[in-house]
Amino acid sequence: MTETTHRGCPVAHTDFTGTAPLYEHYKMLDNDREQARFLFNDTTDRGFFMLQRYDDVRDGFQQHDTWTTAVRSALRPNTASDPLLPQDLNGQEHVKLRRILNQFFAPAAVRRMEPMAQQRCIELIEELKPAGSCDFVAEFAIRYPTDMFLALLGLPVSDGEQFLEWSDEYFSALLAGDPAGATTAKASIMNYFDEAVNERRANPRDPKEDMVTRLVQARIDDVPLTQDEILTICLTLMLAGLDTTRSALGFIYTHLAQHDADRQAIIDDPTLIPKAVEEFLRLYPLVFQAGREVQEPQEFNGVELEKGDVVWLGIAQANRDPRKFDNPDEFDVNRPNVNQHIAFGGGPHRCLGMHLARLELKIVLEEWHKRIPEYRITPGTELRERGVQLSMAALPLEWEV
Amino acid sequence: MFISIDADKCMGHGRCYAVAPDLLSDDDEGFVAQRGQCWEIPEGLLGQAEEAADACPEGAIAVLETAPSNA
Repeated sequence: MTETTHRGCPVAHTDFTGTAPLYEHYKMLDNDREQARFLFNDTTDRGFFMLQRYDDVRDGFQQHDTWTTAVRSALRPNTASDPLLPQDLNGQEHVKLRRILNQFFAPAAVRRMEPMAQQRCIELIEELKPAGSCDFVAEFAIRYPTDMFLALLGLPVSDGEQFLEWSDEYFSALLAGDPAGATTAKASIMNYFDEAVNERRANPRDPKEDMVTRLVQARIDDVPLTQDEILTICLTLMLAGLDTTRSALGFIYTHLAQHDADRQAIIDDPTLIPKAVEEFLRLYPLVFQAGREVQEPQEFNGVELEKGDVVWLGIAQANRDPRKFDNPDEFDVNRPNVNQHIAFGGGPHRCLGMHLARLELKIVLEEWHKRIPEYRITPGTELRERGVQLSMAALPLEWEV
Repeated sequence: MFISIDADKCMGHGRCYAVAPDLLSDDDEGFVAQRGQCWEIPEGLLGQAEEAADACPEGAIAVLETAPSNA
C-alpha cells in the first residue's frame, strides 16, 4: 500500500515537471501549500520535504550551515556530474568566491552597464517594430539577455545568434535531467569560453571593470582559480541569466497584453516601472523552487529531518502566500511589502544576478512602451508553460504599424 | 529610535538602500555599507528606517525603541 504520511507529513504526488496550460503550475503550487503546512512529495527517486509558507521558506534559506546545495533543485536531485559555480560551494569557500564576483553584479557595477544595456535594447526593438508582429519569446526575450551576458563577459554581441543556439540546446537537456543529451552543444560553449578566457590571459583589461580579467587574476587563499573553474563560472552565469530573463519577460508581457489598465499605468508614469518589476517578480516567479540537502539530523518546525533528506524551498508558494501578501493573485503596483518577495531566493546563495535582471527588465519595459505602447497577443494563441523552471515556448504579439 | 542591521542575516539584496537612500548606502559588493551597525535614527528619517526594515527579504533590519544593551 502507498504510504499516506511520511515522518508525519502528508504524502503528495504532484508532478511539477510537465508542460501545461499557462499558470497551471501556480494553481498546483497554491493548492499544495493550502493542503498542509509541510508535504512529502514522492515523484522523484529521493522524494522531498516541501516548505511552502513564506516564513518557512525564508527560514529554510537561512539554514545554510546545515542545508547545502549538494542538491540544487528538489526536482533534479542528482546533478553531481554537472558542476556549477559558485552554487555548489558552501560555507566560507562559497563566501570567498562570491566576494570576487559580487563586485561585478552589485548595483554600482550594473549602473555602469546601463547606457550599453539601453542602447542594445533600443536596437532590438527598432529592428522588430516595422514588422508589426513577432514571437516575443524567441525574437526578443531571449536575444536581449544573451547579448547582455556576452557584454558582461566582454564578448561581441554579434556572437549572440550562434551562442543562443548552443545555450538553448544545452539548457533544455539539463532541465530535462539529461545533460548527456547535449554534449556537443556544451563542448561548443566551453570551447568558446576557453578561447575568450585565454584571450584575456594574453591581453588583460582593467580587473576592476572586466570580470574575466578579474577571474584570471583572482587568488583565493593565494591559489588562482583553475581554467576549469573559470569556465564553469561562465557556464553557470549563462545558465542562470538567460532562460530566467526570457521567462520573466514572457510572463510580464502576457500580463501587460491582457491588462490594459496596468499597461496604461506604466505608459502614463514610467517612474512606476521599478515597483512594477518587483511586483511582477513576486507574482510570476520562474524558479519556483530551490533544493537543499540536509547534512545532519535536525528538527525543523516539528518535522524530523535526517541526513541526506532533500528539502524543497517553495519560492513561488512563498511569494503567493496569502499569510504574507494580501490578495496574492492580484498585481498591485503599490503593494507595501513587495520588496520582501523571494523570487531571487535568500541566504548566501541568493541570485548573484538580481540587480542585472532588475536593470534589464526595467529598461525593456521603458524602451518598449515608448515605441510600441499598444500590442496584443495574436488571437487564437494557446499559451503554454514548461515545468521544472517555468518558461513559455512562444508568445506571439502583434501591433499596428 | 534606533536602527540595527544584522550582519549575519544581510545577504545583499539591496532593497533597503533603494527605499532609504538618505539613511543607507551600498558598498562595492552591493551590501548595505552599514551592515552590522546599530545607531540612532537621525531626525526626519524614521519613515525611511521603517521602510528599510519592511523591505528586507531576510528580516535583517530592526527599528528599536532603545539601543540594545550590548550595542
